[in-house]
Amino acid sequence: MLNYIFKRIIHAAEVLFVVSLITFAVLLWIPGDVAQLILGSDATPEKLEALRISLGLDRAWYLQYWDWLKGLFRLDLGQSYLFGQNVTTLIAQRLPVTLSIAVFSMLIASVTAILLGSLAAIKKNTKTDYFVTGLMQLGSSVPSFWIGMLCIVFFGLKLKIFPITGYVPIEKGFIPYLNSIFLPSFVLAIGEIGMLLRTVRTSMLDSLRQDYMDMAKVKGLPKVTVYLKYALRSAMIAPINVMGIQFAKLVGGTVVIESVFSLPGLGRLILVAVEQRDIMLLQGLVIFITFLVILISLIVDIAVMFLNPRIRVQMEGE
Amino acid sequence: MNLKENDEKLIDIRNLTITTSSGQILIKDITLDMEKGEILGVVGESSSGKSLTAKSILNLLPEGLHWEAEKFQVMGLDYLKEDPDKIRSFIGEKIGYIPQNTGNYLHPMIKIKDQIADGYVLYAKESMEEALARAAKLVSAVGIRDTDRLLNSYPWQLSGGMRQRVNIAMALMNKPRMIIADEPTAALDSTVQRQVIDLFKIVNQNHNTSVLMISHDFGLIKYYCERILVVYAGQIMEEADRDELFNNPKHPYTKALIKVIPSLNIKKDERLQEIKGNVPDMRVPVKGCVFKDRCPYRKEICDTEVEDKLINENHYYKCHFDL
Repeated sequence: MLNYIFKRIIHAAEVLFVVSLITFAVLLWIPGDVAQLILGSDATPEKLEALRISLGLDRAWYLQYWDWLKGLFRLDLGQSYLFGQNVTTLIAQRLPVTLSIAVFSMLIASVTAILLGSLAAIKKNTKTDYFVTGLMQLGSSVPSFWIGMLCIVFFGLKLKIFPITGYVPIEKGFIPYLNSIFLPSFVLAIGEIGMLLRTVRTSMLDSLRQDYMDMAKVKGLPKVTVYLKYALRSAMIAPINVMGIQFAKLVGGTVVIESVFSLPGLGRLILVAVEQRDIMLLQGLVIFITFLVILISLIVDIAVMFLNPRIRVQMEGE
Repeated sequence: MNLKENDEKLIDIRNLTITTSSGQILIKDITLDMEKGEILGVVGESSSGKSLTAKSILNLLPEGLHWEAEKFQVMGLDYLKEDPDKIRSFIGEKIGYIPQNTGNYLHPMIKIKDQIADGYVLYAKESMEEALARAAKLVSAVGIRDTDRLLNSYPWQLSGGMRQRVNIAMALMNKPRMIIADEPTAALDSTVQRQVIDLFKIVNQNHNTSVLMISHDFGLIKYYCERILVVYAGQIMEEADRDELFNNPKHPYTKALIKVIPSLNIKKDERLQEIKGNVPDMRVPVKGCVFKDRCPYRKEICDTEVEDKLINENHYYKCHFDL
């Protein structure tokens, strides 16, 4: 077990290294001069040169990269010229927003998909099944920014149930916090439910076909026990993997929803960093999100291993 | 138990027919009677519809199959009228099932102790400790020594024979009024086979538990069952008490089956007997007798519909001839 985790960490480090190298290279090669962007088009060449030197942009790329890499080991991602703050601090400020809506939308998506997906499998080829799968198909086909705007108009402006923009930190009360993240999470969830629901339905159908389901029925167990204890248990492995992938995607990909709902999260920070060519910031963000994604997939893999007693018992025996 | 229930037969099924959703007939007009405390054997080659008959009693017909019957009563419960939830809990409480190929009938992710006892806790209203004590007693009765280790294992940690014994113990947990055993000893070696069958006999004698035993092994059925049903291609070919059936078999198929029971004094290099040909595909309708293609006595008359012929009230067969 420890051996496995160690191997995965080594692997993660390799991935991080490659990703950082690629990001660095891409940012180096895209056209546009950072010094020009900062100082504006009427800056004198002397001033531009001076700024380049002070930013370290005049040195060879591998020296720049090496400096940055050294900082990484000290958890120092450098300075954002745009905000004049440490990149690590900026990420720490924005992370709760993105993490909140990612976790909350995953929660909504998982509960809905497990319930409705199981229901669709149990009631296979009935109207319930067609209705549920059809609805979810629709949900995952419609772009999230459009649903987001509809929700803002309907729930925010018309019914006035939820605030339409902004983020309230959890320290200012749980209910206001929940209110501020509910709509964006809900909209994000709609996009994710479809795929997850199909996965739940398929693996549930598979486990309902197994012989042990016959035995559970013959024992006269109540339907709830039959489905929860016997069917869902073996049907959860594939969906958990999908949830991991989706969650990782949400952590790094809430740019659109954060913009629609004006939330100060990591996604919006990326957008700003790209627009303003804030290389240090962008680089730091990319490497941090990569790290998050790797961490999540590691956690999911370990969770799946623990769910499967065959692997668990083998490890206990080691 | 009231008097009315006492008078009733254990199983009273008239003209059971099982069809696929596209209308193909898999089982035709099977009539099954069972008295309380009886051990009934159903014998026939593979895919002759033995298991399907059992599964209709257990309410386990695979998706897409439907049954019809003139009458379908088990211990007085009318399957034609009763609602499905009632039937399910009735089966759970009163019938023990030992499936064929028990390998996949135990959930691979749940420990034996957590699946052997849940039905008992529900219906006997006993605690989990009491249930596990009973489970340990039963698995040791089917010849497992280290019961503690067994109960704490997952199914895939056990051999095929062990799993089958777990299933047998599980079927006996609720002190069922009836056991349906589909090839119960297929994965067991002969000493354990004997042990399991003797256990059935003890349960049968001590608790008056009826046993419906399904097997392709005529030797086993002969040793064990009081009354025997010979099934071929979804129809009953002959039914009689054991001794009557062996002393006076009337149907050519029964005769053939008796002939192929391997005897112990086979000479070296002697080929085992077999019945030539295969069970016909039940999905293709056959005109007249279903056994005619493999029957050594075949004549033109075999293409016409055969009626059941009664020898006496306990013995009938389905053949045009009186052989």
